[in-house]
Amino acid sequence: MTPYTSFLYFGISLYALIPAVIFGFFKRFWKAWLVIATAFMLVVQYSDINNEKKSVLPGIVLVLGYAVLQWLVAIGFLQIRKRGVNKIALYVALGLSILPLIVEKVLPFFEQQSPFVFLGLSYITFRSVDVLLGVQDNLIKKIDPLQYLTFLLFFPAISSGPIDRYRRFAQDWDKVRTKEEAVQDLDGGIHRIFTGFLYKFILAVLVKQYWLDPAAEIPGILGTLSYMYAYFLYLFFDFAGYSAFAVGFSYIFGIHTPENFNLPFLSRDIRDFWNRWHMSLSFWFRDNIYNRFTFAALKGKWFKDSQTASYLGFMLTMGLMGVWHGLALHYIVYGLYHGALLVLTNWMDKKYKGNRLLNDNGFFWQALSIFITFNLVAFGLLIFSGRLF
Amino acid sequence: MSVTETVLKHLEKFSGTDQVRKDLNIDLFGEKLLDSLASIELVLALSEDFGLDLAPGEIEREEWATPQKIIDYFEARVKQG
Repeated sequence: MTPYTSFLYFGISLYALIPAVIFGFFKRFWKAWLVIATAFMLVVQYSDINNEKKSVLPGIVLVLGYAVLQWLVAIGFLQIRKRGVNKIALYVALGLSILPLIVEKVLPFFEQQSPFVFLGLSYITFRSVDVLLGVQDNLIKKIDPLQYLTFLLFFPAISSGPIDRYRRFAQDWDKVRTKEEAVQDLDGGIHRIFTGFLYKFILAVLVKQYWLDPAAEIPGILGTLSYMYAYFLYLFFDFAGYSAFAVGFSYIFGIHTPENFNLPFLSRDIRDFWNRWHMSLSFWFRDNIYNRFTFAALKGKWFKDSQTASYLGFMLTMGLMGVWHGLALHYIVYGLYHGALLVLTNWMDKKYKGNRLLNDNGFFWQALSIFITFNLVAFGLLIFSGRLF
Repeated sequence: MSVTETVLKHLEKFSGTDQVRKDLNIDLFGEKLLDSLASIELVLALSEDFGLDLAPGEIEREEWATPQKIIDYFEARVKQG
């Protein structure tokens, strides 16, 4: 059963949520319940006869098997890392960890489908890679099996994020909430769940039915423009709605899964946009791809100019982000388009230091830069939608 | 040179302003004083000056949000050795 898509799902999830509220309030068994509820909801979420993704094995077997595999890679690598830095071991561990994801992305290119696909494969991979890199940096020094597996498989966010980080999750895992904090979490959780209903079941549905679907039928440039704005709004309400549910459910268990959206329509430039749109993904890419690449490039003095390293870092990061959606041309172009926009924004910033469009806080300049950013982003998503090519 | 002075010297260089010295609690990323590249250059410069081998994963925007937080971070790290 796909999470957050049917009222039956919400009905069943009450069996997980209500005890979580009670145990949280009485400060008893809440961690045990976190584990039990995750196991219970995984069975619910992965035992679906209508699952679109066809696999050789039942979804629940695949997902658990995959998590155990990731755990073995993580503890194996941790043992090696304890004896000192070993680059080859890191690459082997990373390779093993992302191999299933690569197979899933590459096979459709050859018109085949990976037999080991399940909903949430790439989001679990993001989490497991985050752990491996934390081990490499000596920031993660022990891996508790139960904590690791719950982190990887935490049911509210397993299918499409938000992507939590192991060290952040560990803080919530180790924390004993006071009664007041449990009540606050419940309040935050319910608030987000209702936001989710509003966004995903009302606004996204309305946009799709009365704007996106009709616009898809209109040929020509006006139809495409209308489709572009409709698609942007629809994606936002659908995914921000999903994310609100995922974060809301997490809060009820005392897990503060990071937010995914923060008023993206008000972004003043593309950097600002990526700090507000699908944030858990863009921060993951920033920390784990851009920062690491640029860090290595500057430390190893690969380029004469540190700007060059940074620009290549943007292209690499956004290119990978595009390819992650799939090997289709429109995804690759989407990634490179955003990479190029980031390069351009940073270049403008350096070239025209104190440039008004980027820095002036007057109403007119702010409104203009928000308008331009909005359209650049909407055009990017039009590429992403595959309507153009 | 004290930890505070070393941190502030580099911060001033990479942010291009002495605001970081005047207000130790200024929000470095929110006020756009540090961008992605400058934050990495800062880490590399500081790890060199303090003789520390910092990993890229140690650049946590929340832990590095203000000059004071960066100073505290390095004071703790330098003591650890």
